[in-house]
Amino acid sequence: QHSRRSKRKDWTKLIYSSLSPEVILRDDVSSSSSQDRISGPAMDDGDFFVVARKAPSGNDEEMDMTKEMQSTEDLKEWEDEDLLDSIRNLFITGDSVPHPSPKGIDDD
Amino acid sequence: MTQPNPGILHFHGHQYLRHRLVLSILSGKSVRIDKIRSDDKNPGLRGCLLRLLERITNGTIIEISVTGTAVLLKPGVITGGQVMHDCPLSRSIGYFLEPVIMLAPFAKKPLQLTLRGITSDDYDLSVDLIRTVTLPHLQLFGLSEGLELRIKKRGSPPLGGGEVQFLCPVVKQVKTLNFVDPGKIKRIRGISHAVRVNPQFSNRMIEASRSVLNRYIPDIYLYSDVYKGEDSGKSPGYALTLLAESTTGAMHCAEAVSQPGVPPEDIALTASRALLAEIRAGAKMLAGVEWANLRPEQFNSSVM
Repeated sequence: QHSRRSKRKDWTKLIYSSLSPEVILRDDVSSSSSQDRISGPAMDDGDFFVVARKAPSGNDEEMDMTKEMQSTEDLKEWEDEDLLDSIRNLFITGDSVPHPSPKGIDDD
Repeated sequence: MTQPNPGILHFHGHQYLRHRLVLSILSGKSVRIDKIRSDDKNPGLRGCLLRLLERITNGTIIEISVTGTAVLLKPGVITGGQVMHDCPLSRSIGYFLEPVIMLAPFAKKPLQLTLRGITSDDYDLSVDLIRTVTLPHLQLFGLSEGLELRIKKRGSPPLGGGEVQFLCPVVKQVKTLNFVDPGKIKRIRGISHAVRVNPQFSNRMIEASRSVLNRYIPDIYLYSDVYKGEDSGKSPGYALTLLAESTTGAMHCAEAVSQPGVPPEDIALTASRALLAEIRAGAKMLAGVEWANLRPEQFNSSVM
């Protein structure tokens, strides 16, 4: 009853072709989806609301996890001596305020 | 289509599943979550968090659809008591322990939970972080007597084999928290462990970490946690957990877990630098307890 999918899926093609599951999920098979995205709501006269972007495109699932992934690239900056010295004031052994502290904590 | 039951909260998707389930149990409201990975190549629920929640509660009704993409939870009473649970190897123990920590203080009886599985991995808080960072934060809310996490055995991915015991008292009234002063870092503590590999790995990590951290303060104590034989689980692995404590009791934490082909020194450097990045980010509440900052009141107001 929902006419959300304007174009019917060709199931035979999806099942018997050698496409990877990711490609099928991304809807690359039917180029209609990419057109929808570009043309926007004006072209789509069937529905008032248009899904702007399909939820996760399948390649990289967003996991429900607590830790943030540490990228070694981001941590490379800590090889720099100046940066290492710049946070000295956050330790009790550091000077009270050598550089103006970024957060503006009032010091004792 | 039938009118949806007004008493049931409706959510979509697999994100925040744990928060939704926990808040549902705490607030006593039924919750229905659908479209759980319905467009995924591997659709539906994974893991067995629902079974664990069923074990620590009484009267909870859980209905899962045939495809596993929808679940209905009618919360019961949090009973507590002695519970044993085998965690699947897809997620580490931390994933299961976090929601339990939110529920356990409000149980009828003190909870004694034994969990088996993977003790530290890349995605969730390791048991070391929960023991040294999350539990001390619960003390700020008025839980202290008898709050404990014992790491009986370690278990590295992929085969796990670890075992922890979580003891949690029941709290009558939760204290409110007013914490604004980040203070200055006064000491750094750390736990380094290596199982089923050369025990020297642990010391090598400590040495490498000190090479970065020693410049700041002298009060650094990195503990090498040794587990032998049966207690070291089924797979090889090593990790370094670091935490920095400030003069006002604020804690910053970071950790890095072994990866194939990466020497222990690099793991230690990653952990140490991540700790410095955490300290620089400063004012924000530490990563280890962010998930718990969502309180039931917020839940109620956000769904009205």
